[in-house]
Amino acid sequence: MIEASGLKIGGRLRDCSVRVPDGRVVALVGPNGAGKTTFLHVVVGLLTPERGAVRTAGEVAFVAQDKPLYDGFRVAEMLTLGRRLNTRWDDSYARERLAGLGIPLDRKVGRLSGGQQAQVALTIALARRPDLLVLDEPLANLDPLARHEVMRSLMGAVAETGMSVVISSHVVSDLVDTCDWLIVLNEGRVQVSGDIDELLSEHRMMTGPLGLSPNAHVVGGSRTDKEQTVLVRGAPVADPRWRVRAVSLDDLVMAYLRSPEAAALPRLEGVRT
Amino acid sequence: MIWLTWRQHRGQLLVTFGLLAALGLMFLVSGLEAAAFVASNAGLAPGDLDAALGARYDAVYTVFGWLPIVAPALIGAFWGAPLLGREFERGTHRLVWTQAVPVRRWLAVKLVVLGGLVALGGLAMSAMVSVWRPRFRTDTFGNVGIFNMLGVEPAAWWLFAFMLGTAAGAVLRRTLAAMAVVVGVLAVMTFGLFTLSDHYATPSRVVTADQTTVTSQDVRLVEHAWLDPAGREIAETPPGACPRGVDAGRNDSARTAYEECLIGKGYRHVVYFHGHDRFWRFQLIDAAILLAGAAGLGLVTVRAVRRAS
Repeated sequence: MIEASGLKIGGRLRDCSVRVPDGRVVALVGPNGAGKTTFLHVVVGLLTPERGAVRTAGEVAFVAQDKPLYDGFRVAEMLTLGRRLNTRWDDSYARERLAGLGIPLDRKVGRLSGGQQAQVALTIALARRPDLLVLDEPLANLDPLARHEVMRSLMGAVAETGMSVVISSHVVSDLVDTCDWLIVLNEGRVQVSGDIDELLSEHRMMTGPLGLSPNAHVVGGSRTDKEQTVLVRGAPVADPRWRVRAVSLDDLVMAYLRSPEAAALPRLEGVRT
Repeated sequence: MIWLTWRQHRGQLLVTFGLLAALGLMFLVSGLEAAAFVASNAGLAPGDLDAALGARYDAVYTVFGWLPIVAPALIGAFWGAPLLGREFERGTHRLVWTQAVPVRRWLAVKLVVLGGLVALGGLAMSAMVSVWRPRFRTDTFGNVGIFNMLGVEPAAWWLFAFMLGTAAGAVLRRTLAAMAVVVGVLAVMTFGLFTLSDHYATPSRVVTADQTTVTSQDVRLVEHAWLDPAGREIAETPPGACPRGVDAGRNDSARTAYEECLIGKGYRHVVYFHGHDRFWRFQLIDAAILLAGAAGLGLVTVRAVRRAS
């Protein structure tokens, strides 16, 4: 479980509140500079907020952006680091996982490929047997094959343990298949937080003639010379002049990011429409 | 944490203590050779013996005489600056500070273990110099270069330099920039403390016709003035007091003749100096200033780390 209330850090986070239940795989999305990294650093305790507080349950493991490791260490020495700096540490799990991935323990970290380095960083986090795993842009700088491998092995570990995960990315499509909870962070505020299936079923895209009122809760939209397209939330509109279709996660995120004043925070008090 | 500290800093540790061991070996060989020379030349006149030992001393001194200036700079640049500078540069602070060990403990172990070893290295160097040097030379106070190799000076300087590099790395988050700060600040500090040390005590004042009564002792000269025949102290003798020639190069016969003439007319030297009995007083004041500086830099480091974590 993650519960953040009223987080503020300079201009990077402004009154950031969110609540995510246990066992969720959370996609934290938002444009560059939205405050994703700052938010994650607060969650893992690297930053202390000026105002507000974060509560997490149990052991929290973190893989920072760019997956920092000590280049001069051998892989086995990175495991020693994990073992010596943590009270909870599953060494045999870490060794088996790396062996399964074909990463030699005596290789210097700096000589591994980017995908292998990501796997070592992930292994160190997983061997702590965390209740919450936080990953900051874990797929950045990886080639498509390595992205797929990292995601696949991560989801395997999640299925095994049932831990909660937060993955940040500015590419929504990276996370669409693996996550079941969405948080959209924009300009230092939480704009959307909710179960992805619920969010998708609550929203729809409607296209109709200009000048016609959608008669619904409009999140945002765009228009051409003849038509307007709007993303609405709530019950479908019966008017036949509207063509209605389901939304994709991409549509949803884009519409909210284009309308920073709109919000969908179903789990927070009083926001539900 | 101890394992991690050793693993990350073993390079500096091995090089530093390896160089200290080499220095010790050189002192041992030099000392034994000098002892054998003295024993087999028992009949030598004192002046000849002194000249022979002096030549041996100078040969060794050229190897380590630069240490009081260079060693602290090396310690600050290679032990201190990378300690946090490199972590910030590589982003590895986000790895190591998010393990179960708290940041304050990580920092405390690094500062205490590495700072302790640095101080130990400084003490080892001064101990080795103190054992080896008396066979050749007995002065310890007058020459500030020698003074800075003895007692607690190396330990205090090394520790200060280490904390300086660490703080600079923590604030600037760049190893190379922190190294440059170390060199710059140490240059200013070395000169500054030397200038300041004149004021650690009120200098002794001696009025004499023969300056060598003071300068032949192991003292630190502060100031020289004249007492005129009327008993007034003056910084410079008045023009025309005596015929004054001009010296060329390192020949000072004209100055000697001028001063002899002044003494003959009733002028006297006034010499302000610190006597050798102030050795420990100066050592401890220097050390207190440097340790206070190191503590302040430690505070700067803790603040910078707390802000980043």
